[in-house]
Amino acid sequence: MVTKTEETELNQLENQVENGGGGVWEYLCLVRKLKVRRSELVLKHGLSILNDPGKRSALGPDEWTLYEQVAIAAMDCQSLAVAQNCIKVLQKKFPESKRVGKIEALLLEAKGMWEEAEKAYSILLEDNPLDQVIHKRKVAMAKAQGKPSLAIEHLNKYLEVFMADHDAWRELAEIYVSLQMYKQAAFCYEELILSQPTLPLYHLAYAEVLYTIGGHENLIAARKYYASTIDLTGGKSTRALLGICLCGSAIAQLSKGRNKEDKDMAAPELQSLAATALEKEYKQKAPAKLNLLSSALRSLKL
Amino acid sequence: MAEDLVLDTAIRDWVLIPLSVVMVLIGILRYFVSKLMRSSPSPDAKIVKEGQVIIRARSLKAGANFIPLRSFRTRRLYFSNEENGLLHVPKGQGTNPQAQMFSDPNMAMDMMKKNLSMIIPQTLTFAWVNFFFSGFVAAKIPFPLTQRFRSMLQNGIDLSTVDVSYVSSRSWYFLNLFGLRGLFSLILGDENAIDDTQRMMQMGGFGFDASKSLGAEKDGLDIIQHDWALPRFEQRAESVLRKLVK
Repeated sequence: MVTKTEETELNQLENQVENGGGGVWEYLCLVRKLKVRRSELVLKHGLSILNDPGKRSALGPDEWTLYEQVAIAAMDCQSLAVAQNCIKVLQKKFPESKRVGKIEALLLEAKGMWEEAEKAYSILLEDNPLDQVIHKRKVAMAKAQGKPSLAIEHLNKYLEVFMADHDAWRELAEIYVSLQMYKQAAFCYEELILSQPTLPLYHLAYAEVLYTIGGHENLIAARKYYASTIDLTGGKSTRALLGICLCGSAIAQLSKGRNKEDKDMAAPELQSLAATALEKEYKQKAPAKLNLLSSALRSLKL
Repeated sequence: MAEDLVLDTAIRDWVLIPLSVVMVLIGILRYFVSKLMRSSPSPDAKIVKEGQVIIRARSLKAGANFIPLRSFRTRRLYFSNEENGLLHVPKGQGTNPQAQMFSDPNMAMDMMKKNLSMIIPQTLTFAWVNFFFSGFVAAKIPFPLTQRFRSMLQNGIDLSTVDVSYVSSRSWYFLNLFGLRGLFSLILGDENAIDDTQRMMQMGGFGFDASKSLGAEKDGLDIIQHDWALPRFEQRAESVLRKLVK
């Protein structure tokens, strides 16, 4: 995670670098340290250092790190020729290196030579079967080829060992949602809520999945998770407010035929409050669309 | 004190300063040698997985109230059932770290390398100090000390009449050995400083027993009472919205 102070520092340096104020190397180091994606800038400024022999040799051994960084940034920008050149230099310097091997495989992947890349990765995996980056690359490759089921398979295999990696769980959840496998997605979101119980994002996503699955029990649970999202965001989440309204009307519809006693509302005013909050927010931020909202709420019979 | 000992300046030039310099140089040399000998640890899949299982079980324990009861129960079953639960360690299969160390030659090798880089230079320097500088009074600290410090500061001189604030050369060696860590962390960077004292402590309680912590996590999971926190959130959300609407 990038903290606020780091972000301001980064933006300051970025401004300075963009306006030709120097500090390019510091900027590149910061980008690398924070692992942020600024590929175009890295490519532009990194190359300006690499193409200047004086500046390049002033870096000392960090020169090779820069080559690596620029190569990856270049692949991200589809400047494959630049990446190829960088990798060639690295190959010459470190002929047997696994780290360079990874970048080479990455280049194959960027060129769309899936089979070759796959082969390269599996050779690298033989040396170190627990390399997380390579496992993740395989997932990314399956996704890039439009084979989500293969990606799921890889991710499941990865999660079997690295089961505390919540980024992987999140990826898996999103793939499941895209395939409309909501039960599995719900499981993943539960896992994410467990790992970071105070992150409203996961509560919201879980609520949405539950709402989509439908059924009385799930709808009630969805409403609870929408409520927790509202609590955790301080009522700022428009999506959760709308979700409360939708859940309310769906539950009302389902329980229309039944007797009303199983209505276990802990907070009976929640729906109307959510509707009012929505109207207030629209009035403030998008008055032109207020009509749309009120007609939508009316159709939900609120 | 009237009969202050006068230390020859040659002792300063030929004992005190060389000894310190040599200690620093040896420390730096040892750092580079151990860096050369260090083999990158290739973690075992089983150990990695056990660590991850423990992390996940802990987060389940911590966040249990945030997921519905049924989801919690299935997870608990998955972790701690008696047949193939992840946290369940069959009796007698828990590996003894000592035995594990002997069965895995890599581990023993690693330990030996560490020990070699520690013990050999230490014995050599100690022998060197003992041979050349034994019996010197090398320095005087500028404040008086009680008799108890005699064994610490005057190692190698068996005279009970010498004031305690005089430091013998062998004691100076020991003081350097344990006291130079701050200097090393300045020279070599923080995490690089080799810390003999800590390493010696590690030697005693080596290794951690994964099966024990797995068992502890299992017990922790078993006694959890699930109390779904979400119903309370509806009321809290209501009060939040009420404040917002006002």
